[in-house]
Amino acid sequence: MTKRPTRVDYSKKALKYSRFYGGKVGIAPKVPVRSLDDFSIWYTPGVAAVSKAIQADHELSFEYTGRWNTIAVVTDGTRVLGLGNIGPEGALPVMEGKALIYNYLGGVNAIPLPVKVGSEEELIAFVRALEPSLGGVNLEDIESPKCFEVLDRLREEMSIPVWHDDQQGTAGVTLAALYNALELTGRKLRGSRIVLFGAGAANIAAERLLVKAGADPKDIIVLDSKGILHPEREDIDQLMLKNRWKYDIALRTNGDRLTGGLKDALDGADALVAAAGQGPDMVKPNEISAMNRRGIAFFLANPVPEMLPDAAHKAGAEIVATGRSDFPNQVNNSLLFPAIFRGALDVRAKTITDGMVIEAAKELAAFAREKGISSTYILPTMVQWEVFPRVAAKVGQAAVRDGVSRRKISPKESFDAALGMIEHSRKMMSTLRRSGAIVDPPE
Amino acid sequence: MTPQNRRKSGTHGAGVGMPLQIRHAKKEELAAVADLVVRTKRLNAEFDPLFAVVADAKSRAEKYVQATFEGSGRLLIVAVEGTKVLGFMRAEIRERTFYEPHTEGFISDFYILPEHRRKALGNEMLEQASSELKKMGAEIIVADVPSQNEIANRFYAKRGFRALTSLFGKAP
Repeated sequence: MTKRPTRVDYSKKALKYSRFYGGKVGIAPKVPVRSLDDFSIWYTPGVAAVSKAIQADHELSFEYTGRWNTIAVVTDGTRVLGLGNIGPEGALPVMEGKALIYNYLGGVNAIPLPVKVGSEEELIAFVRALEPSLGGVNLEDIESPKCFEVLDRLREEMSIPVWHDDQQGTAGVTLAALYNALELTGRKLRGSRIVLFGAGAANIAAERLLVKAGADPKDIIVLDSKGILHPEREDIDQLMLKNRWKYDIALRTNGDRLTGGLKDALDGADALVAAAGQGPDMVKPNEISAMNRRGIAFFLANPVPEMLPDAAHKAGAEIVATGRSDFPNQVNNSLLFPAIFRGALDVRAKTITDGMVIEAAKELAAFAREKGISSTYILPTMVQWEVFPRVAAKVGQAAVRDGVSRRKISPKESFDAALGMIEHSRKMMSTLRRSGAIVDPPE
Repeated sequence: MTPQNRRKSGTHGAGVGMPLQIRHAKKEELAAVADLVVRTKRLNAEFDPLFAVVADAKSRAEKYVQATFEGSGRLLIVAVEGTKVLGFMRAEIRERTFYEPHTEGFISDFYILPEHRRKALGNEMLEQASSELKKMGAEIIVADVPSQNEIANRFYAKRGFRALTSLFGKAP
């Protein structure tokens, strides 16, 4: 039996291999170059005809170029992983990694693109200016509350999908996990008391998505570092001026007007979603014990969950999930974002609606149910890659249903397109490795 | 087995359906109004550090409200639902020594709890206060708000008020 690698092992390897490979992704050709004469087709003079066609009809850029399958992974480097504001250069290896996951699991051509910008407006203007080259944008690791304004504005102003994974991705996977945890404990979304601990990107997006999915906002309690949000909290006017997303949540949730801290919120609660910061003591046993029987508790902070699963079980929680791969029930964005963009790109979507994310969450949950859910298996795992084309197909169909797709294709066409693209990526990887074009790392 | 709920859902929103009143504040509402006074000042503090609120604001606010009850030519209007005070407006009659018209109704404080905003409550309170101030002798109505409070500025501008003076401030 081999020992499980530690975080230190991974860090050492990451440093060594990053230097060895000098980057994780690069642009690769899609067309043959049979002789130099082919450049007269791919480039000038032949290419001018393609340019003129697109000039006359910009939508043709989705047919004649790689735009339809290309996204940018954009960050300003202001909130990278748990490292904080490390700047765009520091963010580059993370964005490369994200691009690699997009490629391998979703067949998406993703370009890592950290940018140096001086203001929110500059970031918005930069991303907006990228539109002609892209089929979509993945925003990543942008600090809160800036990320809300940037996402809202870009979703409104661009006619390609803009996705902020720290908001929609985490919220989407959380919803999927919640569907199955509720199912296992005999509950429904509506009628369940759900506590969201932490009011950053993930939980602010989760609140909106939960309500769109049918949860009663009056039964949702949200806490930030100062305690339970409610309409008469002392700093409510400050929130109105400084963080209107949190302000809106304070006004529409918490129908019982609870005040106080986490224990007050969890008293009689059915589910907890903690996205509040590094554990393992952010959530205490007596707080979990205050929950209803058969309680559900998700601890999403990485690398140290707000509370360790063992402790949560001992305190009475029945179903526990974390963001970590070495515990059961990993709430992992990577289950969602490759499939979200695969599905959205296949139908040339103009945006990603909350309805598309809810469909994706439902399909993730359905996949796990088909395999047989239990308290230690509420979500598919990363090795079950068959889930990606299935989720992608649902996302594409939801886009068609919601009237935001440029292309109307059938469910079967959606699935086949997604499966084809994902299989192609996996085949590329095995072919490149077999041929020696990509070598294994040195020992 | 279904989970045992300690809390019943579907019982939210106590006070729903209670009649809404705009009327003079009562003595027993002093503490509630004082709390709203403090909120008003804290809101102002968001706009400028020269509006930083003192530590003992609550007790000062109680004295301030008490003095309003006791003084003459002063008006304290509240919006109330059941026994809950949702908002207040404080005003007083002031002489304008050198200007015509000579008497103004000066609105010094105006606050409504966030969830009761945007429901025309502010408008009703302003109208009621204006007509009372007129009866008290006011020939014009003026209101004092931080220059940077755009929401308040818009509120008054939309109702025909125009900026009359600018109060500039800096540390010496």
